[in-house]
Amino acid sequence: MDYVVAVLLPQLLHGLVFGAALGLLALGLTVIFGLLGVMNFAHGELYMLGAYAGIAVIGLTHSFWAALVVAPLAVGAIGAVTEVTTLRPLYRREPLYALILTFGLALVFREGARQIWGGDMRRILPPFSGSTPLLGMTYPNYRLFLLAASSVLLLAIWLFFTKTRAGILVRAAVQDAEMLDGLGVNVPRVFTLTFAGSAALAALAGLLLAPIFTVYPQMGVEMILLAFIVVILGGMGSMGGSVVAAVVIGLAQSLLTLWMNPQRVAIAIFALMIVVLIVRPRGFFGREGVLE
Amino acid sequence: MKRVTWGFTVLIAIATFVWVTAPAVSQPKVVKIGDLGSKVGVFEGYGKYQTWGIQMAVEELNAKGGVLGHKLEVISEDDETKPAPAVRKAEKLILQDDVKLLVGAVSSGATLAVMDVTKKHKTIHWNSVSCAEFMRTTKFHKYYFSNQPDSRMQANGLAKYIVDKMGKKVYIFYTDYAMGQSDGRQFKTALEKLGGEVVGVAGAPLDTKDFSPWFGAINQSNPDVLFVAFAGTDSLRLMTQLHSFGMTKKYKMAGIDCFLLQQDLPSIAEPMEGFVQLNHFSPYNPDANMQAYNARFKKKFGTDANIAAGSYDAVLFWAAAVEKAKSFDSDKVAEAHEGMCVDNTHIGRQCIRKDDHQVIMDMHLYQVKGGKNLPIARIAGNDSIGEAMVGKDPVEGFTWEIKKK
Amino acid sequence: MSRALTWGPLLAWALLAVLPALPFMSKFYLLLAFDALLFGAIAMSLDLLMGYTGLVSFGHAAFFGLGAYATAVLLERGIVSLWLCLPFAALVVGLYALVVSYFSTARRGIYFALLTLIFAEVVFTFFRYTQTFGGSDGIQGVPSPRLAPGFAIDTPMRNYYLVLVYLGLAYLVCRVLVTSHFGRVLVAIRENEDRARFLGYNVQRYKMAVCMISALLTGLGGALYPGRSAFATPDLMLWTVSGEFIIMVMIGGLGTLAGPVIGGAFFVVLQEKVSSYVDWYFIVIGLVLVFIVLFMPKGLLGIRDLLGGRRWRATA
Repeated sequence: MDYVVAVLLPQLLHGLVFGAALGLLALGLTVIFGLLGVMNFAHGELYMLGAYAGIAVIGLTHSFWAALVVAPLAVGAIGAVTEVTTLRPLYRREPLYALILTFGLALVFREGARQIWGGDMRRILPPFSGSTPLLGMTYPNYRLFLLAASSVLLLAIWLFFTKTRAGILVRAAVQDAEMLDGLGVNVPRVFTLTFAGSAALAALAGLLLAPIFTVYPQMGVEMILLAFIVVILGGMGSMGGSVVAAVVIGLAQSLLTLWMNPQRVAIAIFALMIVVLIVRPRGFFGREGVLE
Repeated sequence: MKRVTWGFTVLIAIATFVWVTAPAVSQPKVVKIGDLGSKVGVFEGYGKYQTWGIQMAVEELNAKGGVLGHKLEVISEDDETKPAPAVRKAEKLILQDDVKLLVGAVSSGATLAVMDVTKKHKTIHWNSVSCAEFMRTTKFHKYYFSNQPDSRMQANGLAKYIVDKMGKKVYIFYTDYAMGQSDGRQFKTALEKLGGEVVGVAGAPLDTKDFSPWFGAINQSNPDVLFVAFAGTDSLRLMTQLHSFGMTKKYKMAGIDCFLLQQDLPSIAEPMEGFVQLNHFSPYNPDANMQAYNARFKKKFGTDANIAAGSYDAVLFWAAAVEKAKSFDSDKVAEAHEGMCVDNTHIGRQCIRKDDHQVIMDMHLYQVKGGKNLPIARIAGNDSIGEAMVGKDPVEGFTWEIKKK
Repeated sequence: MSRALTWGPLLAWALLAVLPALPFMSKFYLLLAFDALLFGAIAMSLDLLMGYTGLVSFGHAAFFGLGAYATAVLLERGIVSLWLCLPFAALVVGLYALVVSYFSTARRGIYFALLTLIFAEVVFTFFRYTQTFGGSDGIQGVPSPRLAPGFAIDTPMRNYYLVLVYLGLAYLVCRVLVTSHFGRVLVAIRENEDRARFLGYNVQRYKMAVCMISALLTGLGGALYPGRSAFATPDLMLWTVSGEFIIMVMIGGLGTLAGPVIGGAFFVVLQEKVSSYVDWYFIVIGLVLVFIVLFMPKGLLGIRDLLGGRRWRATA
């Protein structure tokens, strides 16, 4: 019992906290894939830019909360500009090109960030410190906040996609963009705004996780692979799937560390991914036929 | 059409190659020193100070007319903290730039890889930062010298203090690559030999984002002391996270010498309060030599020096050896190094031990108070240096197993 | 497409053969040339997949790294004969490639890119964390391989000629493949997979075959690497390295075989020279890539008749 309380439950909590934030990141990625057919290799860099934008805003305003509002908007804008100038011309072509292009963009963003802010690790102090006695250990308040904030955001996004006209439009576009075009909707604008939204989500995830993981130019590279795995596991294009998968992966990572070498945990996750891709490429809730 | 394209392309290719490889104009009477280290990434701080240390030495020497009448020039290269780029840059420095001295690298993995290159091409190789235990034992070669206390020296110096003054039950948490593994091994060996009990060991991969998955196990083993062998940005992250979970207050903390650079301490003062390390330099040490060095360094670069700036000594030693040998020939210079003593290093007088080319350095135990590394005890060089084990395996018989009491 | 061997490549190869005779070819430049040709050859083998069959592999670094490790493991244990090391590397890479290609080619679209990526990550993670293979530092300080007792490949000059031979042979293999019936089927698959299938070709088998050939060529290139570097590290298998191979192909030009060789050489040389002076080198590379994809998908010597626009949607 002592073990359960002292070790197991905290690990579960770690997994949930991380999983929720990962869900925010993966959500943007899966929507873009579902909508544009593009696996955005630069998504990790948008995540990273969110954290750096946060640093910039905090530098000016000394307010984490201000950063939480401004940074996603700024990165969303970057996303919109990027989509219009570089991705839009490629929709007509083989998706192979968009894939490679986003890889190039990732390089530019990453190195650009390093030039502007330096390669040193930067810290963003959590807006409040302190910890709460919880489950036999003292759990940092900020992590609890992270869990709460991510959950609220995910709920808000779900509401957006199910209850608002704009959200339903995006979902329709994911289903069948040509049809929507026929109905007179400005499909390119939907694409751009969705891409911007995805970028903003990634930025938000980056900023929210920054006080825990710290900020450095490589932070996107490490997260992107995990985000891909979540998206595949959940089903490419399925939003609910990616959230569920994110939590699953977060928990799996956290719990497996207890029993395996942390290095083997990574292999276990990849192995799981390969099995899923082979046996059920659509993941948990993916649409049939996307990859089959 | 195809032929024209082909011919044209081949022409372009060759022209480009020629343009790109055209040799630079060489200047007379200049000798180059290679500065190889992490200029970006997790160890960027160390690389930067290594460069500064070298630059300061070079400027001082040039002001006095250089070495054997030659002016010194520094060429800095980034090894990306990985062995593969380190080897390529080392080759570039040695084969293309013809450096007579190579200082580096920062990461132990890189340094070990570069040692193969310097051995093959017979280049004097000074290491002022890396601390894996293989460099003066199994990997040792005659052109290699070091003024960085390796993990064995650190363990010799610090373990006794931990066991006597901090607590018998120690949990060792290390970064899972050459340096951290080396520290883990040496400290476990030393702690157990002195009567301490290592209640647990764990390694986290380099660049781990979130260390909290390991905290449960640490708490469960209930140590007195948490010993951490990390460096660079990993350390910063680790301490922040440990602090947010209340563990910095719960356990006494100790770590390796390069755990955190003094520069980073103020931003993380609270988590680091009470942290004990063994070090050869601190700008807050009242020792006259250190203060003198720090003053010069600060005047030139606008900030306090740190241990990576020990690269300053490397250049001084090499210059003295060259003057003694009256030649730049590697074999002669290497021989001249042995037993050499130099007075104006960053900590005063130091001598190189002949057997394993390690500098015998007096060090201090430091404790962080209010964001500053303050000395609490002195450890004589001869006590910590340990026996010379050239060619012998320093980890023979070692086991990671936790001995249950 | 033209005959199996025109005089162009032959002349280029001959020129490369006399390159070491030029006065400024120091040891360092020979090593650089080695890298340029080696990665150029690897890019070329990737082009078989990318340019001719339309499959983007984000896992080629794993083939390369496995070849390097296989050789390094043997060299480390004193088995230095190249005639043993190369077949062994081919075996190891071949087995891995068999597994990867079998599963990656099963479905369509970016499935291939994703699976190759993840398989490569597994390999990378495995080598990075397995101490028997040196962990994150890899296998260091291996002796040079040799062709015959007394003739070791231990100088930059010998390494250079070795890689030149490899490049020549690899080019021949690719050329023959591409100009044969097999090559035409590959192009058919690239243009319209379903049509090729309806015409009766076992598409998956063709994809597997070309994937394995490309993997083997890359793996053999990797096998030559420890001879030059004296090490094999997990960093050779980072997925960003796979990305760099793709960049080399794009710069040189998809579907031309010779283009990627030049692209690879260009990339290696540029990186070496430019990164010494400026550290924002990667911004340049990223921008170049973006530029090429948008405006010059043909690269330096691209396919003239690249497919026009067609939005890819696998759903019915």
